Amino acid sequence: MNLTNVISGFFIILALTTNFGFFYGDPTILEEHSKYELFAAIIFNLIATIYKLGDKTQLGAVLLATSLVADIQLIASASVWALGEYVVGMTPEITTAIISITGGALVANIISATLFAGGTLKSKR
Amino acid sequence: MFVLIVTFAISILGMVLIPGVDEQGKVYHLTFFDAFYFVSYMASTIGFGESPYTFTYPQRLWVSFSIYMTVIGWFYAIGSIIALVQDKVLATQLALARFRNQIHALRSPFIIFVGYNLLTKNIILKLSEEGIQSVVIEKDESKIEAMVLANYTLEIPALQGDIKDPDVFKVAGISKPNCKAVVSLSSDDALNLHAAMSAKLLNSKVKVIVEATYDEYAENLNTIGIEIIENPFKIVAKRLYMALRSPSLLMLEQWVYGEPLRLDARDLLPKEGKYIICGYGRMGQAIRIALKRAGIDYLFIETDPKKVRKMKKNDTHIISGEGQDKKMLLDAGIKDAVCVIAGMNDDFVNLSIVMAAKKLNPSIFTVARQNNIFDKSIFSAAQIDRIIVVQNLLINQTFIAIAKPLSERFLRLIKNMGSEWGDGMMLTLKQVIGEDPLKMETAITPKHAYALCNYLEQGGDVTLEILSRNLTDNQQQNRLVPLYLKRGEEEFLLPDHTMTLQVGDKLLFAGDKTAFDDLEYIMQNIYELHYALDGTSCQNSLACKLHLDA
Repeated sequence: MNLTNVISGFFIILALTTNFGFFYGDPTILEEHSKYELFAAIIFNLIATIYKLGDKTQLGAVLLATSLVADIQLIASASVWALGEYVVGMTPEITTAIISITGGALVANIISATLFAGGTLKSKR
Repeated sequence: MFVLIVTFAISILGMVLIPGVDEQGKVYHLTFFDAFYFVSYMASTIGFGESPYTFTYPQRLWVSFSIYMTVIGWFYAIGSIIALVQDKVLATQLALARFRNQIHALRSPFIIFVGYNLLTKNIILKLSEEGIQSVVIEKDESKIEAMVLANYTLEIPALQGDIKDPDVFKVAGISKPNCKAVVSLSSDDALNLHAAMSAKLLNSKVKVIVEATYDEYAENLNTIGIEIIENPFKIVAKRLYMALRSPSLLMLEQWVYGEPLRLDARDLLPKEGKYIICGYGRMGQAIRIALKRAGIDYLFIETDPKKVRKMKKNDTHIISGEGQDKKMLLDAGIKDAVCVIAGMNDDFVNLSIVMAAKKLNPSIFTVARQNNIFDKSIFSAAQIDRIIVVQNLLINQTFIAIAKPLSERFLRLIKNMGSEWGDGMMLTLKQVIGEDPLKMETAITPKHAYALCNYLEQGGDVTLEILSRNLTDNQQQNRLVPLYLKRGEEEFLLPDHTMTLQVGDKLLFAGDKTAFDDLEYIMQNIYELHYALDGTSCQNSLACKLHLDA
């Protein structure tokens, strides 16, 4: 058992679950989505990303790419939220955007977790 | 990175969770943005102050905890980034990537040098002055660092690597079409052979120049088809022979190498009498052949009985010497010898031999071999008549072989011409040109001779004589002597003035500055060519141009 694999697996799954937790709910009602969950999703995604750095395999490269996509989308979502809150004011459009962008990140996270699971299944040990 | 993210996350979360108070005294929670903004400038020790409202004591408690946590995390992250930059593995990878890019970007022809030492340094210096690009492969990192300090006019890419790994040659661009030559002049023959072989196998079109001081290696190199094999000891012997039997050829050779056309005091070896040579090693063996051919009486002194026996088989002019220099030299008959050659591979043994010889026979001509290039000042202080620096001998030869192919061929052709030919040649040069002739290589190609090529392609006849006409009066001849002409595979030594030129001819001239200036004008400029041919200036320049272009 490789401790690094345990930790990176842990964070990849955690990134996916927190992201899903935030995304789940009515996209027009912001109250159904916890800002703490978005924060946790961003942090866990960032940690998952740094665990994928330095892996020189093809799979590692794709994993890193999906993780970067998820990071960018989650940070974009948080930025839109801050923009809506302080600059332009909250409108239903902004609210939907916040949630739907994290939906994109969720897809990236699902791909990432699938690849990770697939890579694990393929290895014989 | 991990530490940084976690410490930031904890601080931000704490700032959001702990309630604050706004100006009206109402309970206020920092938003994530507020917290992120505050923590960012707190952790990086920028510190804009408490925002958006003055903090309450519970908040300050958390902040003071966070400061220590995030600032330490921040410094830790910076520390690991710096450690990464200083990482040796990463640095070599970056240097390799940079080298690859440099090689990839090279468009001009370039020469690969295997090993960087004082010899190759001097060659690279001369080449870069000529605008010829070099690339260096060196095993020793400290030598590459030393190379950066040497100021070349061109930027010389250097790769740290062992040529025993064939990839190193590939990275250095050996398979590129503009890689013209591979030069390996290490003092280790085996290494040179290795370099030559890999270079030849990886790219058979590349010219390989290597040093080989042992005959076995030279033969191996010959079999694999290496063009230029250099042996510094043979050069020593050849020069010695030339100085004794055909000094004019030696003068010509040194002139081609860029020295003035006259004989140095160091080349005025005594032509009669007995020579005493200390050391029968690689240099001694080469010198023996030269002296024998020159018909000079000689005697070798050698301390190693094996070498003595080896020579005694076919030549008895050797004694085995032991112990004191003085006694050894007296035994060899130093009193009536005319020249002593100290050719051992130890500088201080050589010096002591020369000093002892001078004491015993003050009028003797002294020749000493200097092995270590740093002993220069000691050797010059010893007032030795002729100092042989083995490492320096290959500089000119290699430079000529790479940068001046015509001069190299010229030297090869005149090598066996004999002293009468050389004397005649010297006389011609001195009479026609003067005391200090210059030399020039050129080619009848559109790049170097635009007008001449046009004229020849239209069926015009131009003889060599026309090129030497004076441009102020075309009845006068400039001081120009054509030395060598190469036409395809054909070679002409001292081509005749009546010879007609063809496009593609390569020429080596001796002459003075005016002659070369006029020569370039005649070759490039259609008006000047016209004047040189007819002696008339073009009245109507446009018509003249059309006439030539038609």
